[in-house]
Amino acid sequence: MIWHIAKRELYDNLSSLRFALATVLLLGLMLTNAVVHLREHPERVQRYRDRVSQYQNHIASHAANSLYDLAQEGPGNLHKKPSDLRFCAEGGEAFMSDRAWAGHHRWSTDTLKSFWILTYPSATPNRDNVRPDVTKVDWGFVIGYVLSLIALLFTFDSISGEREHGTLRLTLANSIPRHTVLIGKFLGALISVNIPFILAVLVNLLVISTSSDVHLGAEAWGRLGIIFLIAVLYTCLFLALGLLVSARVQRSAVSLVILLLVWVVFVVFMPSTLVSIAGKSTPSGPTFDFSERSWKIHGELRDEYSPRRHKEAEGSIKRIQIDGAYVTKDAEQQERLHEERLNQRIAEVHQARTITRISPVTIVQNLIESFAGTGFERHLQFLENVRAYVREFRTFIVDTDSADPESLHIFGVRTGMSQEPVNREAIPKFEDTLNLSKDFNTATMELLLLMLFVLVLLSGAYLAFVRVEV
Amino acid sequence: MLITLIRRELLDNLMTFRFTAAVFIMLLLVVANTFVLIRDYERRLTSYNTAVEKHRQELLETKTYSSVDLILDRPPNPLSIFNLGLDKRLGNTLGVYYLYIPSLWDAGKHGTNNTYLNLFSSIDIVFIFEGVLSLLALVFAYDALAGERERGTLRLVLTHSVSRGQILFAKYISAMTCLLIPLLMCFLLVLIMLTTSTSIFLRTDDFLRIGGVIFTSFAYLSLFYLIGMLISAAIRRTSTALMLSMFVWGFLVLVYPNMILTAIETAPQADTETVAHNQIKQIWDEFDRERMQFLANDPVPEDDWDFGLWGKGYSFWGGRDDSPSLLYYNYSGFHFEELLEESEPQVPHAQNYHRFLGLQITNTSDRTWIVRKPALEALYVQPAKMERMLLKFSPVGLYDSATEAWTGTDLNGLQDFFTAGQRYHQAIVDFFHDKKVFESRQWFTGDKRGVDWNILPQFSFQRSDISINAKRAFPDLFLLLMINLVLFAAIFLVFVKSEV
Repeated sequence: MIWHIAKRELYDNLSSLRFALATVLLLGLMLTNAVVHLREHPERVQRYRDRVSQYQNHIASHAANSLYDLAQEGPGNLHKKPSDLRFCAEGGEAFMSDRAWAGHHRWSTDTLKSFWILTYPSATPNRDNVRPDVTKVDWGFVIGYVLSLIALLFTFDSISGEREHGTLRLTLANSIPRHTVLIGKFLGALISVNIPFILAVLVNLLVISTSSDVHLGAEAWGRLGIIFLIAVLYTCLFLALGLLVSARVQRSAVSLVILLLVWVVFVVFMPSTLVSIAGKSTPSGPTFDFSERSWKIHGELRDEYSPRRHKEAEGSIKRIQIDGAYVTKDAEQQERLHEERLNQRIAEVHQARTITRISPVTIVQNLIESFAGTGFERHLQFLENVRAYVREFRTFIVDTDSADPESLHIFGVRTGMSQEPVNREAIPKFEDTLNLSKDFNTATMELLLLMLFVLVLLSGAYLAFVRVEV
Repeated sequence: MLITLIRRELLDNLMTFRFTAAVFIMLLLVVANTFVLIRDYERRLTSYNTAVEKHRQELLETKTYSSVDLILDRPPNPLSIFNLGLDKRLGNTLGVYYLYIPSLWDAGKHGTNNTYLNLFSSIDIVFIFEGVLSLLALVFAYDALAGERERGTLRLVLTHSVSRGQILFAKYISAMTCLLIPLLMCFLLVLIMLTTSTSIFLRTDDFLRIGGVIFTSFAYLSLFYLIGMLISAAIRRTSTALMLSMFVWGFLVLVYPNMILTAIETAPQADTETVAHNQIKQIWDEFDRERMQFLANDPVPEDDWDFGLWGKGYSFWGGRDDSPSLLYYNYSGFHFEELLEESEPQVPHAQNYHRFLGLQITNTSDRTWIVRKPALEALYVQPAKMERMLLKFSPVGLYDSATEAWTGTDLNGLQDFFTAGQRYHQAIVDFFHDKKVFESRQWFTGDKRGVDWNILPQFSFQRSDISINAKRAFPDLFLLLMINLVLFAAIFLVFVKSEV
């Protein structure tokens, strides 16, 4: 019987104006998305490849000089790999730097050079940008905004409309329990919303996969599948909301007004207002303070070491040891400073993101970002990869140095370290990877939250419908 | 008769649920967001004041003319609460040096430095109106004609001696009155919150600008109401009219602006940047050749540009090559905090050199600006203008750019500050020439008499006059009003011809 009702709903919808309009709208958006992706992605991948080869040349040229040179210069720029699924979610990638810089130098004297540290450059696409501000059309936008609106437009009259026409009474006069009617209506609406969506997704993927420039591997298809399921879950949320309001309200017009206002508040305004209300767009202090602090700490260290250094004769082991301690300690301090600043920034973003989770559209966009391999969580993963690599690189330097019998094994000074050139093949190479299981871990909370919302709304719709007078 | 009709419609509209909901939701959103926006403005103002103070201190500590950092700070615009525009995004500190002519693209930023926070979009009052007002206008309009036709009351009304135009007019007037109530209430609330806030001072001009914003909002509201009415007149059934209105809304407000800018690429010509950069570089290379020639011909035997001067706190001015903003300069100068006694005989030579250099540099920077200005226009401004033009095919784009123009947060409004910065740069350079600063001792040494920084020309910046704001907003406002007229005419035609 459920199936019977669902089928009737489906047939009703298929011939309606909203179905046609929804199909056209979704198809148009998804086609644009695919075409733009094909235009932009190959360039992006090419740029990444160029940069990776630059990085490898950088390492190779220093490795050919000496181990000291390599240890002093560092591996250079480490680049973030662009995701193949960027068309699913832009994820504000423009606002996050696509590199980490493991090679920042600050000072040199006639005998000493500062050691490299890992720093995190920030991206400032906005400074030069006088263009109008818009959201990129990606799957996240289509699902988060357009599909949710369509879901509401498909359900706002599904119960109140029938009540107005009197057909609801007729249906319930048969021996059908109310929940069957509700589930039937829900399924019918779900299928009819998903038909245009699936169509649009298929066209989108067809266009993207026919191009020879973009390769989607097995894992990418798996991720796409997950994103699709998330989209369906998200649609369920809005369908349930639509049914709930439609069951409670007598007239369809009123039901639509309520739904639209709820939609506008939760989807359009909540995400940005909440961040600001939480006050987390607070400036964390101007930039010049940071560089001042950095030089101050460096100055203190220099003042501490320089009398001790000058007591010892130039070239003596003792002097080399003090110099080495000075340089390595300086690098450690400065790196910690940068690390602290990064962590503070990340904490601010985390706080803001936690608050915006009340809005379902933020949840779904975060989820899509996680699985598309873009966005903030992905950036954190990249930073994690960078740190792991930096550890590996440093261990490599120590190991190679201890393998050289002529070296004094004092880090930080040219005379204290191995002067042998390094075999470039042996140096660990940075490769940025994406990890599906990690993505699942970061997404679990949001996935559960989304499910919770759906369940609450569905049971709400059930209760409302069971108790309502026809 | 018209009065009766208007009264009836007004009562009809006022008693509805949608009216209550409209007022409630608008007030809620506006109050919450104004609160947030005022806090944000206060934060930016504090950051501005700190920066001004800090830059002032730094200036007073400077010992020589050549090392002077004249940094101008752009105050936040209090009207950015209405439309944020580019006010928060673009640079707000501008260094004025005699070495180059400052532009928007050389500006830096004080205040927030956590760039990750750009991930979150910001909101302003116009944005709320863009989304909610248009939606409400459509919700009010969709059944204006179709509903009456369905219920048969339209036929009843027309049996009286009322012309169809009168009915349309009455409906329009009454619905707009109903919609104006929440609109004006919102603006009043915002104004109350603004005037009670201690950090915001609004001048008479600003109230007029806000008046402009209100008028534009009104035109925008009316436009969407007319769209809804047209749909209602053309389509027989209310449910279909409603559905169509919602999709039209979704398309115009949500989809079109984002889709068109994603789809159409407005990148400038690929080689503009490199061509201009090379040209500028050539001009500076030429400058360098002349400099070397001067050094070769001067009475000091060696080709050494520091003339063997020695002093404490020596520092050196180098070049800068910043490709994206086409900033390039190349200068070999020096300055000392304190000059040693034995260098004294060399000082006249250095002064002579700097007289030549000062003149050459200011001339060269003027010449590079001739290349730089159009190149920057082509690189950044043209694509932006193109994109704004594309956006104007949706009423949202028109509304946004008109209100931006009123509040002065559009590109023109912000350029005003940078133009003032350029004028100040010219004033400083003229001052340096007039007072023979380039050839003075204080140009490169900080000893003996210090520099009196108070005699420098002062920078002052006033936001543009209200008449200029009005002139900038006029084209978009005019278009909005025109579309209103066209829509009204279309509705009239459709309605007059339609069977009841």
